[in-house]
Amino acid sequence: MNQTLINVGVAQVKTGANPAVIRTILGSCIGICIFDRAKKIGGLAHILLPNDTSGGVNPEKYADTAIPLLVNRLIKEGAKKEFMSAKIAGGASMFKFQANVSLGQIGDRNIEESKKSLEKLGIKLLEEDVGGNAGRVIDFFLTDGHLKVKASGQEKMYYKV
Amino acid sequence: MHEHIKQRIETIINNLDQLPSIPEVASKLINMVNDPNVSFKLIAEEISKDQAMTTNLLKLCNSAYFSKGKEISSVDRAIVTLGLKEVKDIVMVVATKPVLDRFVIGYDLAKGDLWTHGIVVGNMGKNIAMKIGQKMIADVVFTGGIIHNVGKVVLALFVQSTYKEILAAVETQQCTFSEAEKEIMGYNHQEVGERILAKWEFPPVLKSIVRYYQNPEGAPKEHIKEVSIVHLANVLSLMAGIGVGSDGLFHQINGKALEVTGLTEADLEELFSRVPETIKQVRELI
Repeated sequence: MNQTLINVGVAQVKTGANPAVIRTILGSCIGICIFDRAKKIGGLAHILLPNDTSGGVNPEKYADTAIPLLVNRLIKEGAKKEFMSAKIAGGASMFKFQANVSLGQIGDRNIEESKKSLEKLGIKLLEEDVGGNAGRVIDFFLTDGHLKVKASGQEKMYYKV
Repeated sequence: MHEHIKQRIETIINNLDQLPSIPEVASKLINMVNDPNVSFKLIAEEISKDQAMTTNLLKLCNSAYFSKGKEISSVDRAIVTLGLKEVKDIVMVVATKPVLDRFVIGYDLAKGDLWTHGIVVGNMGKNIAMKIGQKMIADVVFTGGIIHNVGKVVLALFVQSTYKEILAAVETQQCTFSEAEKEIMGYNHQEVGERILAKWEFPPVLKSIVRYYQNPEGAPKEHIKEVSIVHLANVLSLMAGIGVGSDGLFHQINGKALEVTGLTEADLEELFSRVPETIKQVRELI
């Protein structure tokens, strides 16, 4: 199959259509994958932090601004909210950190805010592969919206759309 | 522990030919710049003897990252315009790229991942040094940041064959990935990295960075600041997913590093939030 690979960097939002594959690498960040099952288009937001503190200068960086941005971009490209569903991955934490180092919890805060933002927009979160201490390489297949998560040398597939 | 793996690693680290090499000029230069009796002229001559190094050096001198605006067309001009420390930094970038810019099996790093990670950590380290008023060590943490996990290049094959056991040790003993490496293979990548730097004849402070970047409290007192800066830059980079491999985030954030650098929680979060800008800054180098 002739698939295009779209690489998404930290704090980037990218969209594509069947049969493209969208890839990103995650530590404490979250990859939010949204797919329109009718139109077979989708996109991925790779967020770094939960809440926008930049006053809108960098909407792609934060869960609460990047997720609405992704949804709007997909709508512009012809997707409809009622056909959209989401999967999220990432949000790992450092294995050990002292209790006073709050950055240690950034993964958990990212997970929480991503879920909140999706709920606010009324987009159903179908699958999640979050938390823990592993880095993740994720591939989001726009052929049918399935997600492959590679972590600690093992692959997992998520098929619900 | 696998005694035969430990022995095979020992054979490699005791045999200079089997460890990665860098151009001779890099080893010479890194020691020359610390010698007050060495003239600019002598250093320029030394660099100019290596044609490939000179070409690559001049190219980077004129990159947006290092350029001071004026076109630089000779090694002499580079030293005068950018300064000796900056020229040395660039030589280190040129010298170490072939060692680090490759696929690293075992740690599951695609070609480019380890190099990008090093450059991001080096640049972030430099920014931290500036931020805490330690401009004089900015060049050292830049180079140290680039090469801090060079040992992974040599350990990769062994990690490949013992990965499951290492991960199991992390879980059962609640230790970091590096501690588990030592447990299973007899050596961790920091120790191997230190041996590579010994081959390259790098100064003690860089050896300390490579050896202790995971646990700064173990570093010699005179190097603890440099080591702590690279420790923090590495953690921030991994958390942002830059160069995160099969060892994932099975590492620690050391509170001592915050104490030593005087950075606050808010500073750390601010640095983390600027990772995307850092990547943009170094784009030409990766």
